[in-house]
Amino acid sequence: MEKTGSVDSLGSSSRQPSVDSLSSSSTSRSDRSSLARPPALSPESAAAHLAPPELRTTGKTYDKAFRGSGKDDPELLPKEVIQIVAKDVTYICPFVGALRGTLTVTNYRLFFRCINREPAFVLDLPLGVISKVDKISGACSRGDVSYGLVCKDMRNLRFVYKPPEDSLQKSAFDVLNKFAFPTSNNLPLFAFQYDQVFPEIGWKVYDALGEYKRQGLPNESWRMSKVNDHYELCDSYPACLVVPVTITDDELRRVAAFRAKGRIPVLSWIHPESQAAVVRSSQPMSGVSGKRCKDDEKLLQAIMDANAQSHKLFIFDARPSVNATANKTKGGGCESEDAYQNAELVFLDIHNIHVMRESLRKLKEVVYPNIEDSHWLSNLESTHWLEHIKLILAGALRIADKVESGKTSVVVHCSDGWDRTAQLTSLTMVMLDAHYRTITGFQTLIDKEWISFGHRFQQRVGHGDQNHTDADRSPIFLQFIDCVWQMTQQFPAAFEFNENFLITVLDHLYSCLFGTFLCNSEQQRVREEVSKRTVSLWSLVNSQLEEFVNPLYVNYNSHVLLPSVSLRHLQLWLTYYIRWNPRMRPQEPVHQRYKELLAKRAELQKRVEELQREVASRASASSERAGSPTRSITPVQTFV
Amino acid sequence: MEHIRTPKVEQVKLLDRFSNKTTTGTLHLTATHLIFVESNVSGAHEIWILHHHIASVEKLSLTTTGCPLLIQCRNFRVVHFVVPRERDCHDIYSSLLHLLRPESYDELYAFSYNPKQNEQQREEGWQLLDLTAEFERMGLPCDQWQLTDVNRDYKVCETYPRDLYVPITASKPIIVGSSKFRSKGRFPVLTYFYQEKKAAVCRCSQPLSGFSARCLEDEHMLQAISRANHNSRFVYVMDTRPKLNALANRAAGKGYENEDNYSNIRFQFVGIENIHVMRASLQKLLEVVGTRALSVTDYLAGLESSGWLRHVKAIVDAAIFLTKAVTVEGASVLVHCSDGWDRTAQVCSLGALLMDPYYRTLKGFMVLIEKDWISFGHKFADRCDQLDGDPREVSPVFTQFLDCVWQLMEQFPQDFEFSEWFLIQLHEHVHSCQFGNFLGNSQRQREELQLKERTYSLWAHLFSERHHCLNPLYSLSSAEKHPVLEPLTQPWNFRFWRNMYHQFDRSMHPRQSVLKHTLALKESNVQLEATVHALKMKLQKLGVSTSPLELLSRPWEHGPPSRPRSLILGAPLSRKEAQQEEEEEEVLGEEALEDGPDGSGGERTAEGSSATENGYGELQDSFGSKSEPAVVSLELGVARMTC
Repeated sequence: MEKTGSVDSLGSSSRQPSVDSLSSSSTSRSDRSSLARPPALSPESAAAHLAPPELRTTGKTYDKAFRGSGKDDPELLPKEVIQIVAKDVTYICPFVGALRGTLTVTNYRLFFRCINREPAFVLDLPLGVISKVDKISGACSRGDVSYGLVCKDMRNLRFVYKPPEDSLQKSAFDVLNKFAFPTSNNLPLFAFQYDQVFPEIGWKVYDALGEYKRQGLPNESWRMSKVNDHYELCDSYPACLVVPVTITDDELRRVAAFRAKGRIPVLSWIHPESQAAVVRSSQPMSGVSGKRCKDDEKLLQAIMDANAQSHKLFIFDARPSVNATANKTKGGGCESEDAYQNAELVFLDIHNIHVMRESLRKLKEVVYPNIEDSHWLSNLESTHWLEHIKLILAGALRIADKVESGKTSVVVHCSDGWDRTAQLTSLTMVMLDAHYRTITGFQTLIDKEWISFGHRFQQRVGHGDQNHTDADRSPIFLQFIDCVWQMTQQFPAAFEFNENFLITVLDHLYSCLFGTFLCNSEQQRVREEVSKRTVSLWSLVNSQLEEFVNPLYVNYNSHVLLPSVSLRHLQLWLTYYIRWNPRMRPQEPVHQRYKELLAKRAELQKRVEELQREVASRASASSERAGSPTRSITPVQTFV
Repeated sequence: MEHIRTPKVEQVKLLDRFSNKTTTGTLHLTATHLIFVESNVSGAHEIWILHHHIASVEKLSLTTTGCPLLIQCRNFRVVHFVVPRERDCHDIYSSLLHLLRPESYDELYAFSYNPKQNEQQREEGWQLLDLTAEFERMGLPCDQWQLTDVNRDYKVCETYPRDLYVPITASKPIIVGSSKFRSKGRFPVLTYFYQEKKAAVCRCSQPLSGFSARCLEDEHMLQAISRANHNSRFVYVMDTRPKLNALANRAAGKGYENEDNYSNIRFQFVGIENIHVMRASLQKLLEVVGTRALSVTDYLAGLESSGWLRHVKAIVDAAIFLTKAVTVEGASVLVHCSDGWDRTAQVCSLGALLMDPYYRTLKGFMVLIEKDWISFGHKFADRCDQLDGDPREVSPVFTQFLDCVWQLMEQFPQDFEFSEWFLIQLHEHVHSCQFGNFLGNSQRQREELQLKERTYSLWAHLFSERHHCLNPLYSLSSAEKHPVLEPLTQPWNFRFWRNMYHQFDRSMHPRQSVLKHTLALKESNVQLEATVHALKMKLQKLGVSTSPLELLSRPWEHGPPSRPRSLILGAPLSRKEAQQEEEEEEVLGEEALEDGPDGSGGERTAEGSSATENGYGELQDSFGSKSEPAVVSLELGVARMTC
């Protein structure tokens, strides 16, 4: 036997999606309701599963769900208005077949209810998840028209509906088309109308100065620069930037001219001990001729010098080297090692947004609605989705390793520095800094690396936009959340949040209920007064934290997580990608059991304390009588 | 032993399968083990390989550093040594070739293994499980089923046990006649009785029907089985083979039941492949996952083309069919394959596992194996290659069964009293030949070998380590809520069992395990209960009566269970190893953390500051932490990236 004795190695965990999502994730399956439920399932979920995904998150306190309500109408959110109600609409469910019911369209949601079934079948989704409404002509009798809805959350829906013959009356799907794509129809997004008040204010979670202060910045090597205060230097960067003290604002302006979209190298994270920094930027505009920029070279030298531990700098170009070379013809490119002394350039071979979009499209084909039994794995392989996830995680792992054990500062960029770069820096930070594994820390991370540094959410998600085939759309943020989920599978006790939290974030990425993921940049967000006119997703999350807390969480302060990117450890996130499939049974409540054990421990500890007090008082009483003090029992210790 | 020419070789290098890591040490060859001792000053790392575990030894071509020796084990350990001198390598190689496959049973480890137990303990070990009691538990004998002594002397069927249960209406001539019409004389007998519906699961081998032969006694036999169950007018006959195979068997005078001849049967093919296909499939799987730089494409495509998960699914599907027929329709089912000792054992035992919560307990599972596998003559000696024999008889049938059970445990984590570690232990010892249970091919052979007199029982060993084998998530209420399990069989529900097939590949192990955390929490609760109890006793001494000890639901008096030394690597084979592992646990320092109030609590350091005290042992020893960043090995990092 090997003496490696890894007590910890029995990780059934890594294959088990977090299970505290049990009740909630079952609620996310509206389609489930219609099916005969296997008797193995607990009955309580039968009631809960009627709630649609977007309402699941509104939980107990703000429960606007219509659980058990016998009405045809959804219970509306503040400022939500019913636009049209159409009777006798048929929903062609891929799992149970045709269902006849009533369709309601509001300015926020699509709501379909079929009451002829027991339990009643409900389909309830925010209009934001709809990517495309297709009118499928022909094949239908009696003037019926078939509509196909392509959704952003891995499903497609089909309805059959007979539009009113009276041309003055509006067709429900025309109304749907209008409200599903408010941006294309010059309507405001629902987030700007929704005015639910939550006890917690999510907009207060992230404060750039506070976050840098937490990292110990500014310090003797790094300063805060006001050069982008009015978004003049770079309109897609935040106002608050951290740069080496030795570089003046004028020099930064000259660097901006040399970097794509003016996205200059600035600090994202600094190692608390070694002072090695994670710096992000866009590609240099070196072009075919290999242009150089003295100020850029000086800036990178300064970044290297700011870290006394290492005399090297690693530049991670997230792209495959072929793509980087191809970019030269468009004026872009990558740093040449001649121009940047002591710098080493590494390509991470992560593909661009178009490849990712195509991969997800294929994945959707493979998992929805039905999964082919015999070729499941090879079909999954053909999507390359896991391969992309692996490359992103492997890239972040290399960066984290350089910073942590190499104590070397790194510069990360791709082309524009807002997609792959955001994925890599944020994942690196999750690996290196335990703060980002807490709920508020993770919110900060998203606010900082994604939202403030200008990941183009509006373009990548296409909020309210009709142009389904827009080449700017891409599931970059979804991939990041997937990577985080992969890490939670390998380190089930290292994250404060659970799977439900990640799914909630993704659901609201599309829902347009909250302002969190609107717009393309901080500048736009300020201009649109997003933080004044909308509610933050974090308001909801932080007002009902108990739904999102991982019971296994142990705060390992100083720990670095280095996930394995071996295929044997990566897996498809079934509870997200296949959640609409009624055969996707939620995991058994392992975490529920853990919660029970925790509660029992708390109870026992209380009991021990009570008894100790009693013993102590009795002992002192009896010692007064007998005159012999009794030794008290060892105090109870708690452990993490 | 005369075969050992070189008992010790120094300066041997051990290469890691998935990284570039090499360790240097000394190789020892003993009569039972091959031992590698790492020549490292701090805590010598040892690898003990039982000769019986070695599946193959290969001498690769000479390199500049020495002569490579590749050893593959049945428990999925693969070790790659480089021996500096070619002659030493050859000596070890040829010794191992002699040692790894003994020619007679007497040379097996079980006959020399002596765990320092006295005779009485040894005998008690063999009495732990009682199959007569098990049939009584099912409610047998009853008004429709009786015990027959027809096989008392193994005359009717030498691969069956002595005690067999048959329908009350099946007379001796019918039994004997039926057995003559069945391959190897394995006539239909009861293996599980579902009391609620009075439905029986019976097993047999294929009929010798050829193209047209029939046998009235056999037809009577099936009728008797059918008549013993009033719930259903017919009995299902499940042929677990693919139809093509059954057809091919007809040419050899065997085949399957003709529905026209048997008045009251419903015949069904299930389509589980034969032992040769399974052997090749697992081999392919191991080849795929053993590849060092495995790409996503190769992994997924390889996993699929190996067909292993598909075969596992086929068996689970068959068990579900069986379970539905018995529990929902209340029909009796007769299961057979060709000889009725491989696929039949898999399907019957897996079906029983789905139907009866008792088999999902630790003891129940042992009983199940004892009954459906050992007593009914699964040919462990041939399938596990215990003696030098026909390689075409070797097949991972039992491994596959364990894999199926694991897949079920993944779907129902609260329904099994035992843990994954227990399954891995079973697998280990089916091949180790350290205990007598799995030696030989049939009950008769085991009696001839006098195993109960000459060897020790694995069940006793596992019982003594039962706290390692338990699943902390097990909940009785779950079994009450749904006694019959209904697993899902969509392809995504079948997964590669990493902890089995990579159990010795350290770099493949998960970093953190929910199981471990739950175990620790459970232990702390047990200790708290003990503290509560102690305090109450104290109060009582002080003359205060307290409420009844309502919290004492667990037998804490026997002390809290200690945590498994290793959840993956198997139980230590020797005392020495056990000591080492204990030492290691101390080194890891997490014990201190997870100990409750009466443990080594005093040794705790300040919270959150030291790397050793936050339970990240797994992270710490492989990757280090911020306090020791030097240990964050690039090597491992790279390995992880390439594989």
